[in-house]
Order: sequence, then C-alpha cells, then structure tokens
Amino acid sequence: MASVVGANTAVTDPTPLLRPPLITGKKRLSQVTEDICSAMERRPGLLWWLAFLAALSALVLGVAAVSYQIATGIGTWGLNTTVGWAFDITNFVFWIGIGHAGTLISAILFLFRQRWRTSVNRSAEAMTLFAVMCAGLFPVIHMGRPWLAYWIFPYPNFRGPLWINFRSPLAWDAFAISTYFLISLTFWYVGLIPDLATIRDRAQPGLRKRIFGWFSLGWNGSYRTWQRYEVVYLLLAGLATPLVVSVHTIVSWDFATSVIPGWHATIFPPYFVAGAIFSGMAMVLTLMIIARKVMHLEDYITGRHIDVMCKLVIVTSGIVALAYGTEFFTAQYSGNQYEQFVFLNRAMGPFAWAYWTMVSCNVLVPLLLWFRRVRANIPAVFVISILVNVGMWFERFVIIVTSLHRDYLPANWANYSPTAIEIATLVGSFGLFFTCFLIFCRILPVIAMAEVKGVLARHGALAAETKEVA
Amino acid sequence: MMTYWKSIEEFEGGPEIRARAETEFEDTPLRITAGPDRRGFLKAAGFAFAGATLSGCRQAPVEKAIPLLRQVEGMSPGRPYYYASTCSGCPAGCGLLTKTRDGRPIKLEGNAEHPLSRGGLCAVGQASILSLYDGLRLKQPLRHGKEARWDEVDAEIAAQFDRIRKEKRAVRILTATIASPTLNAVVRGFVQSFPNAQHIVCDPQSASPILESHQLTHGARILPRYRFDKAEVIVSFDADFLGTWISPVEFTQSYSAGRQPDAKPPRMSHHTQLESRMSVTGSKADRRYRLSPGEVPQVIEQLALRVARRTGAAADWAKDAPVALATKELDELAERLVSARGRSLVVCGLADTGAQVLCNYLNHLLGNYGTTLDVEAPSRQRQGDDRAVARLLEEIAGGKVAALVVPGVNPLADLPGGDVLRRVPLLVSLSPRLDETASVATYVCPDSDPLESWGDTEAVSGIASLMQPAVQTLAQTRPAVETLARWAGGQSAAYDLVRTTWKREIHPRSTGKEDFEAFWRKSLHDGVAAVRPQNTAVKPFDVKAVRPLTPTPAQDLTLVLYSKPSIPDGRHAYNPWLQELPDPVSKCTWDNYACLAPSTAERLKVKEGDVVRLEAGGHSLELPALLQPGQHEKVIAVALGYGRKESARFAGVGPGWLFRRPSLGEKGLVGGNASSFLRFEDGALRYWRSDLRLTDTGKLHPLALTQNHHTLSVPKHLDPGGGSRPIVQETRLVELSNVRRETAADKSEEDLWPRDHPFTGHRWALAVDLSACTGCSACVVACQVENNIPVVGKDEVIRNREMHWLRLDRYYSGDPTAPQVAHQPMMCQQCEHASCETVCPVLATVHSEEGLNQQIYNRCVGTRYCANNCAFKARRFNWFEYAREDRLANLVLNPDVTVRSRGVMEKCTFCVQRIQDAKIEAKRERRALRDGEIQTACQQSCPAQAIVFGDWNDPNSRLSKWMNSLRRYRVLEEINVRPSVGYLKVVRQGETNEGGSRHG
Repeated sequence: MASVVGANTAVTDPTPLLRPPLITGKKRLSQVTEDICSAMERRPGLLWWLAFLAALSALVLGVAAVSYQIATGIGTWGLNTTVGWAFDITNFVFWIGIGHAGTLISAILFLFRQRWRTSVNRSAEAMTLFAVMCAGLFPVIHMGRPWLAYWIFPYPNFRGPLWINFRSPLAWDAFAISTYFLISLTFWYVGLIPDLATIRDRAQPGLRKRIFGWFSLGWNGSYRTWQRYEVVYLLLAGLATPLVVSVHTIVSWDFATSVIPGWHATIFPPYFVAGAIFSGMAMVLTLMIIARKVMHLEDYITGRHIDVMCKLVIVTSGIVALAYGTEFFTAQYSGNQYEQFVFLNRAMGPFAWAYWTMVSCNVLVPLLLWFRRVRANIPAVFVISILVNVGMWFERFVIIVTSLHRDYLPANWANYSPTAIEIATLVGSFGLFFTCFLIFCRILPVIAMAEVKGVLARHGALAAETKEVA
Repeated sequence: MMTYWKSIEEFEGGPEIRARAETEFEDTPLRITAGPDRRGFLKAAGFAFAGATLSGCRQAPVEKAIPLLRQVEGMSPGRPYYYASTCSGCPAGCGLLTKTRDGRPIKLEGNAEHPLSRGGLCAVGQASILSLYDGLRLKQPLRHGKEARWDEVDAEIAAQFDRIRKEKRAVRILTATIASPTLNAVVRGFVQSFPNAQHIVCDPQSASPILESHQLTHGARILPRYRFDKAEVIVSFDADFLGTWISPVEFTQSYSAGRQPDAKPPRMSHHTQLESRMSVTGSKADRRYRLSPGEVPQVIEQLALRVARRTGAAADWAKDAPVALATKELDELAERLVSARGRSLVVCGLADTGAQVLCNYLNHLLGNYGTTLDVEAPSRQRQGDDRAVARLLEEIAGGKVAALVVPGVNPLADLPGGDVLRRVPLLVSLSPRLDETASVATYVCPDSDPLESWGDTEAVSGIASLMQPAVQTLAQTRPAVETLARWAGGQSAAYDLVRTTWKREIHPRSTGKEDFEAFWRKSLHDGVAAVRPQNTAVKPFDVKAVRPLTPTPAQDLTLVLYSKPSIPDGRHAYNPWLQELPDPVSKCTWDNYACLAPSTAERLKVKEGDVVRLEAGGHSLELPALLQPGQHEKVIAVALGYGRKESARFAGVGPGWLFRRPSLGEKGLVGGNASSFLRFEDGALRYWRSDLRLTDTGKLHPLALTQNHHTLSVPKHLDPGGGSRPIVQETRLVELSNVRRETAADKSEEDLWPRDHPFTGHRWALAVDLSACTGCSACVVACQVENNIPVVGKDEVIRNREMHWLRLDRYYSGDPTAPQVAHQPMMCQQCEHASCETVCPVLATVHSEEGLNQQIYNRCVGTRYCANNCAFKARRFNWFEYAREDRLANLVLNPDVTVRSRGVMEKCTFCVQRIQDAKIEAKRERRALRDGEIQTACQQSCPAQAIVFGDWNDPNSRLSKWMNSLRRYRVLEEINVRPSVGYLKVVRQGETNEGGSRHG
C-alpha cells in the first residue's frame, strides 16, 4: 500500500519526467499484455467465486421478485393512487446516472486528451453498458402491462394509423436510452478490437481462438488498420459526446415537463447531468478500487487515477449542491405556495430523513475529498464513493416520492413505503449489474491494453533497455 | 358473371386498372363476395348463439306484470328499459326507475317524478341492486338450518299455526315499519286469523318518541311530514336529517330547495344544528353547537321558555336555569325562530319523549304546524313502537309467546336483549339472508328481492307508489306478502294482492275520474300516484302535555350510538359497495369505530387506531378509536349496524397476494355490533348511555381512511405562509349581493397560443354546487354501479388504492373543536390542457372533439405517468386483476362499460356511454340533443341536485348558466390545465362580512 500512496514519487528514473507517469512499475509492453491477459487465462480465484455467487443470488432474488410482480400486478409494490412511481423510476434514473461515467471517460476525456483515462475507460464503459441494461429494465417492468412494452416504439403496425405520442417524455426516453445503449456498445466494441486481437494471438487454436478471431474482425496490427481504427474511434467519440448530455437531459424531462411542484423545474437538465456524472464517477471509483485490489492492477490504476476521479467527484458534487440550493431559492422566489411547500416538505416533512441522507452523502461527505490526504487514502475514498451512490439513489427517491406524496390537493396526500418485492427488485438490479461485471472481468481485458501501452512512461527508454538486455 | 364498367378509364384501361377498381374497397366490410365469407359466417354464428342464449334466458320479465313488456316484439336487445318502482332500502320510500338491459336490472335511478325524492336516490338505494345478485341470498326455505321445500315448510308451519289457534296461544309478528298498504293489510289479515296475535313494529333507527310525543300533544300517534323547503329557520337537535334521519333523500332535496343563493331574490334558510357528534347535517349547518344527548332536553326547555315569552304564551311551567348553551346564544336562537314564525322548523332526533314534547311545543308556539310540519298528511316512514317492542321481549322472556314471525327485521342483532328470541318455540324468519335471527329460527322462508316482487308503499299519506318486479325470482324465494297471506289462509299472488289493495284503498282516494284500470296503468307507469291523504284524527295541540323536565346530572363520558349514512342499519352489512363507501364525515371505510373528540383522545391518551374497550351496563366492546373534530368532548360515538354475521363474507374480498392483510376484524366480521349497549328507557330505545367506561387495550387496529389530511392548510411547520389552499372557495351571502355584476366575458380564457381544441360542436362540462353538496356520497355509489368499479377491500384502501372514480374530499377549517366543513366531489376534471394527455407515450389518453378526456383501456400499457401528472389525482390504476369470479354478481355489470383489466389506468369518463346513448337516440329521431337529456350517474342520483352536466357551447344550457355564475371557479385554475368542471363556491351565512373567500 505504501508504494501506492507514494505513487507520484515512486518512479526513480535518472532523467526526471515532466509529469509523473500514469502507469507505475516500469512496465514493458509485453508485461502489460501479460499482466492483463494472464488474469483472464487463469482459473478464477476464490474471491471471484464468492463475489459471483453473491451477485448471482441477488440476481435470482430479483428475477423471482420481478416474475411475481409481473404475474400478480404492480399492486405488489407499495405504490398508490398518489404515489405512482417510487422505487421503479428511482432505480431507473439511478442506473442511468451510473451509466454516465463510462461515456464521459471514453468520449469526452478522449477528446480532451486526458491520457489517464486509458486505465479506466474499458471497465467504465462496461459498467455503463451494464448500468444501462439495469436501467432499461425498470421502465419495462414498471408498466402495468410489460408484455406490451414494445408499443412505445413507433413501428409500422396494423392497428390502424396508431402511432406513439411524440410529445411524451417517456417516448423520448425510449429513444434516448436505446440510442445511448447502442452507441456505447459500439464505442466499447470498437475500442476492444485491438485487445481482442491480442487475446486471439495468445490463444491456443480452438474455440477460444475462433471466437476472438471472429470478434477481432481480422485485425492485423498494420499501420493501415491502426490508422483507420483511430479515425473511427475519434468519430465515435465525437458521436457519443452529445449523448452524455442528452440522455440525462431527456430523463430529467420526465419530471421537468410535468405540472407537479418539485418536478416542474427548468434547472433539471444540467442538474441531472451533473448528478449523473457525479454518481457515475463514484461508481467507477468503487469498482476500480475493488478491481485493482482483486486483480492486482495497482500499477495500472494508480493513486493518481483515483486522485483525478476524486477531483471530478468534487466538481460535480459542487454542481449538485448548487442545484439543491437553487431549487430552494427558486421555490422561495416563485411566490408559489405549492412550490414552496414541496421544498419545505422535503426538508422537514415525513421524508426528511431521506432528504438529509441525500444532502449528507452528496454535499457534506464529498467535501472531505478536498483534502489530498483523504484522496490518497484508498479505503476512505472507497467509503466515500459508496456513500455518494447511496446519496444519489436517495436524490432520485426524494425528487420522485416527496413531490408526489403531497401535491396540490391535500385530500390526496398519502404516504409511501416499499414492499419486500420492491426491495428485492432493487437488490436484483445490483445482482444483474455485478453478475455482468464479474463475467466481463473474466472474459475480456478490464484494461485497454492497446491504449495503456501508448501512455507507458518513458516507453522509448524502456524499449531501449529491453534491447540492451536482449 | 357480367361485369359493368364504372368509368371510361376502367373500360379503356388495362387489366391493372380493372383490378385496382375491384379492390378499391378491399378493406371495407361492404365488399361482397360470393358465398359465405369469414365475416358472414361469424355474423351468422354470433346471431344464432345470441338467439339461443336469449331464448334460454330464464330472467325474462314477468309478462303479465309490466304492460310495456307485452310488446315484446318492440323490445330490442341492447336498449335499456326503465320501470318505475319504489326503493326499499329503508322505509323512506323514494321513487325508483329500474334500468334493465336484456332482461336484467343493472341500475337503480331516482324517479324524477316522485314527489318526495324528486330524482334523488341515496347511496343505500343505489347499492341495493346488488342485493338481487347476492350469492348469499337464501335460495330456498330452511328448516332448522337445513334446506327444505316450500310445500313441506308451508304445510308444517300451517299445522303448527293451527295448533296454536286451537290452543289460543300467543302469536306475534315483529316487522320493521311497513309503509306498504298491501303488506299492512296482509299482516292485519294474518293477525286476525289468530285469536291471540299482535303486530309489533320495531325500527333499528327508531323514531318512536316522536310518534309518542304527538300522541301526547296531538292525540294521534303520527310522525309529521317535515317540510324543510318551507322553513327559513331550521333548528335541529341531534337530528341528522341529511344523513340518516327518517327520510334523508326527501329532506336533502327539500333542504336544498330552501337554500338557493343564486335565486332572485336569494333564498337561504338559516340552519342551526345542536348535536353531540359531527354528522352530515352538522357539516352543512350555518351554526353548530355541540351538546351531549343529556344536555339536549334542558336546552330545548330553555329555548321553549324563551320562545314562549316572546310569543306571549304561558312561561310559568318551568324556570330559567343555566344550561349547556350560553344565554346569549339561546336568546339569539329564540329571537331568530320567533322572527320566522310559521316559517321555521325545530326538529329533534333525540330518543326522549319529554324532549320531543317540548320540540312539538316549540313548533306549536312558532305556528309551524300546518306550514313546515304536516300532520294532516303525515309521514309513515317510521312507525316503530319501542314500548311494544320492550313488552314483546318481556313476553318472550316469560315464555308467553308460542310463535314469532319476523319479516324484514333482525331483532337478535338489532335489539338489546334480542337473545331471548332463542326461547321462542316457533321462530319464523322471512329474512332473505341467513342473518343472526334467521340462523336461530325454526324456519326461514326467504323473502324475494324487491326487484323480483310486487309491492307498494305509501311513505307519506297521499303519496302512494308501486313496486314492480323487473325480473323473475332468481331462486326459490317468495315475497313476504305472499307468504304471510298464505299462512293467513289466502292463496293470492303478490300482484293480485297489490292490485286488490289499490282497488280497495288507493283508487277511491284518487283525485282523477279515471276508472281503476286506467288509474292502475298510469300509476304503474309513473311509479307513483298522488291521492287524497287518509283522514287523520288530529286534535288541537294539548298544552297540558308540556311538562318541565328533570335535569340530568352531568356525566363524564356518554356513549352515543348512531347510524352511518353508508350502513344505516345492519340489513346492508352484506353490501360490499356500502362497506367500502367512505363515511361522508370521517372518510373511514370497512369498520365502525369509537369516535372521540381530539381533546378527549388527548385526555385519555388514546391515538387514532388504538383499540379501546368500551364497557357499559355489563356489556363490553373493543373498537378502534377515531379522532373526530367537531365532536363533543364528553361523547364517544359508535355506529350501529356493524359486526354482522353477513359481513363474514368479506374474508376474501380484494386482491389476494403475498402481503395481503385481512379486511375483517378479530372476530371475522366487519366492525363490532354495539346494539347491546342500547336499552329501553321510558318506553323508548335509548341511543345513548352515560355509564361508559373506556380503557385502552394497547392493541392496534388500522383504520382504512380514504383521506389522510383533513384541512386545506398544510402542517404548520411546513407552511411557507401561503395560507390555506384555494381548492375550496367560499363566499358570503352578503358578498354575493354586493359584488360587482361581472359578465361572462370577464372569465373568458385569453391566451397567446391558438387553442388546441376548437370545440366546434358540443363541449361537455360539469358544474358542482359546493354549497348544495351535503357530502352524502350517493353519487359515489351511483358512479360505482354505472361504471363497473370494483371493490378492493380494506387493505387496499389502507394502501390508498380505492378505485372510486368520484370521491368526496372533505375539508375542515377553523377551530378543530368546532370546525367548519366543506365537501368537494372530485372526479376527472376533463381538462382542456390535460396534463395527462401529453405524457402518455402510447396515446392511450387523448382529447375528444367534444371536450372529453378519453382513456383507451386497450391501448394503455400502464406507465402511470398520467396519474402522476394529474394535479387532481383523479386517475385510478388497476393494481391487480380485481375479482370478477362471482358470476351472479357480474350480472349487475353495465354492459355499456368495459370491465378493466390489470395494469391499465381508468378514471371518470363523464359517463361517455350515456352521452353516446343520447346522441344515438337523438340522431335516430333526427333532432338535436336537448339540454338535460344527458345526465351523468352522479348527477342523476344527487338528492341535493348539486351536479349539472351539459354542453358548455350551448349558452342556454343549464350548465352554461351555472358556469356563468358569479360563484363559479375552477380548481387549480392557476396552473392553466383548464378543467371542464366548474365549482360553485360554498355560501356561508356569516352575519359579518369578515374574512377572505378562501377556505382554510
């Protein structure tokens, strides 16, 4: 651990570098390949099995809960006439938010030439895909008749001139999420191609070689291949960048276009996007801290990476905090008693505990990250990253439930408490996410080898050293 | 086959043009193909199937009974037919129209031509149609609880009666109030067929002291007909005349007629209510005082003294004494009454003959007899004689009664000490269900449902109405009148019995000159006949009857037993619609409970939902506590009619799933039966007692309230300072006359944007007069019946998932010890800028050209976004597949309204099926729709006529007039959703012009 804490000064190269290296441990190119690939070629360890078993159990629990709910009715959830959405859409927005970091890291940071992203972009993108899968599940299962979910897509049909409602944010959601998923998947896959070829090359002839051979699309590592690859990657990065902003903007419109006080707010798009990046970064931190420990990737995901991501967390936490404050100000300034009441009710009503959990986790706890010592303390960062995600889940819960449960007509006011089925569904979504992620860790390189090789410190010098030895 | 060319192009053109012409109308059903195609086959098959079903239908109306139905060839399937009849939900005898479709009754509507109810019908009346299709109704007679045949039972009972006749032993027949001339005649005949028989009348909600007081003051045991429409000042002591007292629909109708703030000049009676608990009537009062029942007689006495002094009558029969009401208030009340002599009305609902005599005296002093109280044509809606009932119970206890016949009452559950009935050697119940009495009876000879039998009623002397069957008996039941006639030795059918009575008793009193046949036909068609009232021997007021009262000592806690408007007595405990109907005041469903004033609860350290044990007179009962603002601090109020055997059926009500909680209480019944706390005192069934002990058991029993927040103000610590919300708006009578004459143009909707919906044809809209609405909830049940709304059970109500499309929001304002109350019917507002419509991703809710917000069930995928985005939360979601397994009960479903499946949204449609029906009818008759032709179910049932539906585009429609009223506002107008429902502000009678127009 000591080497990690002191990672910034660990390199003792005779000729000092302008910047500390991104990858420590004086890796050679072949060493990188070896480090990343051998982990996949070995049998999984006990820790992996335990984690996989836990994730799978959670998934099975979730599947059981969802099956029961679909067979019996939405009534198995704690919803009521007044609170028509709660855990379902909270989970949806939460997972969509998690899914934001991946594209941000791969696309926007790529365009900004942030070279540190190479160590985390692969798993962050995988995380994005799995999170979007989890998220996409909820709009489907929250429907009263999920077997008709395909009706929200405009497709030629024989039910007369029946089309969808293009004015509905839910229809926009369907487009936004499916687009986001497809682009993220493509981007992730294109980025994987050089690494898939590496695995292909290392594999013994057989099924494994054939599968990786098929997916690496005949990659031969030639100058031309690389050149075209880089162009495609750049173009895709450009294509994916607006999606980072658009998806959560559209998700926020689910609320912003409504007439319900607490939902009806113009601040929602930037507020939601910042929140999404905030929670996404926190989730990347959580996963990376686990992965580097379990898969011995301390040299690739260094203290410096964690430090940079912590800084992003601080920034987005600040934006989110500003949004919380602005909401109160807007409500107060509006002179609208319904609007004012909603916010007072959030802070002091029956769901005050949820509100203050949200504020503590999203505003107060991340303040600790201003201290370099905290940012360098991996366990502390780990705990903070988890708390941020708890806070972000509660943010969505607070927005959805507290706005609905006491709206315009006091006669409608109701309370909400989840049933065991809803909690099991939430647990199940985590099960799905981690099951997918653990499988991903086993079959695909968690670090983009090709890209990491490009940022190795003193690459040339090390290569020369190697030659001398040879 | 010859082919004809239809155009030159076709003739000259190539084969492809001909082919195109041939298939031009391919997708229309008009295309004629050779031989039977699929459609044709299905049509033929469908017709044959429907025909077979119809011809096999046993429930064809009784042919000889209904003249219209002689013309069966004119009766088309799918069209509703209405038969005038009379409601038998209670003895008030409101006029009915039974709506039948394809031979089965599906809805009861008020008969607008009935002079008492004038089209109104209460919740109980609306719900009573379910009784017809009740699977727990007995299907044949029972002997010692085992099924038997009618001929056997008849023979055995006849043999036993013969023996009793020979031995001259006592036979008693215990009935509820019988307003039916025919049944009365039959009972008389039955009684006369025995040497020692007696007819005793017993009402679960007795008015015996009123009858007795009139015996004392007027020399006749009568119940006056109260004319609230003629009263300008109404003072009511503990009489819930808008909720449960005697004839609530009639009284609501006439009360409403006396309160017309928009009339020119405005007519607005002043109503003072003095009561112990918050009743529906109290919630509408202009002045309300809280008096415990023990305090009422003294207050009446002091009031009578003051009125006597002011009217110059003798005032030496009692002395001034301090009473629960301040002297200033008493003086004011007396002054107000005296200023409206002959135009005032004092009513008293207290079961205390002394107090009733004083009440009569007050009305006598004020000259109200002959104006607001009619004793010449008195009411027959209550005839119970508590003294006789008490005597009967003693007789039975003494073993002196050989046989007891009980039609239509359940003394075992309704009367204190009713248990002695088990000692009667021959107990014959005529109950249609296995109630408490029937289950210990020797024989049960089930009465037919009122919708299956002939009958009549003369609820008020001179207003005779007929009951006609709309369907043949569904099981082997027999009308009570036939059964009793048979045991008395006759053999007639109910139809002949009724006709005979009408020929003998009603027709001679008819004012017209037509012969009996014409009179009969007209009465049958109208459902009601106005005839000369029977002569009542009323003597002039006897002042000697007025005596001072002995003051009752102040008590700590008084138990008050009352009736709820939803379940007025235990007869209706079987009815799931009524069990799930929220109480108009407490908003509680599925239970009875101990109502406590909030301050009393604080003093006794009891919280809502805590189970308390009530002990009095050696009886005890455990009930959950409910905090009721506006209740007297020393009163605990408990509803009667609960804890009935029939309510055990609700064990399985509601959707069954993993975490379901039961609808029933610990004893497997809904609520607890409090009738053991009743007692006979001074010859009257006492509905209160002062020897109450209340202890907290420490147990909890969740109550299913449909409203959790009861005011329009937000909790204090969350109040941003906006005051109460302007959801219910109020105005004062003074303000109404002072206000600047606004024109309708002032309220026009100006907008920068072009209108989304031009509404060039009709534009349907609804207006609700909040001042007239009493919260009685008749509309809620009417809507439920009309629109096939499921019952969801107590657990689902606790989870806030009741399905009523129309709900009544009740808000308190002011001091919680004496709050003001406003009732607000709330349903889909059919907004022009509907927030639900824009958010549905699949276009399952769209706007019609006529202003309706339509919900397309089979397109709905159930995202619930529309409900979330509804500012009124008027939408209802099908959380589960609600039970539709009871195939008999399914017969009540309205075939014009889709039964919704799980996972779809639903809501008020403005009764779109009725709109379509009227439009089709108008089109068929080639005429324009007439205003008032379409009545929504809620509007139809409203006894206060507080709801008007119509075309907003028609400037002359009644609706438009209401919409242009100065009182009209729309809820949440400021968020610009533009509701199509207008509300007329509550009009308060304040003497002062203080305060804003907001309710809070």
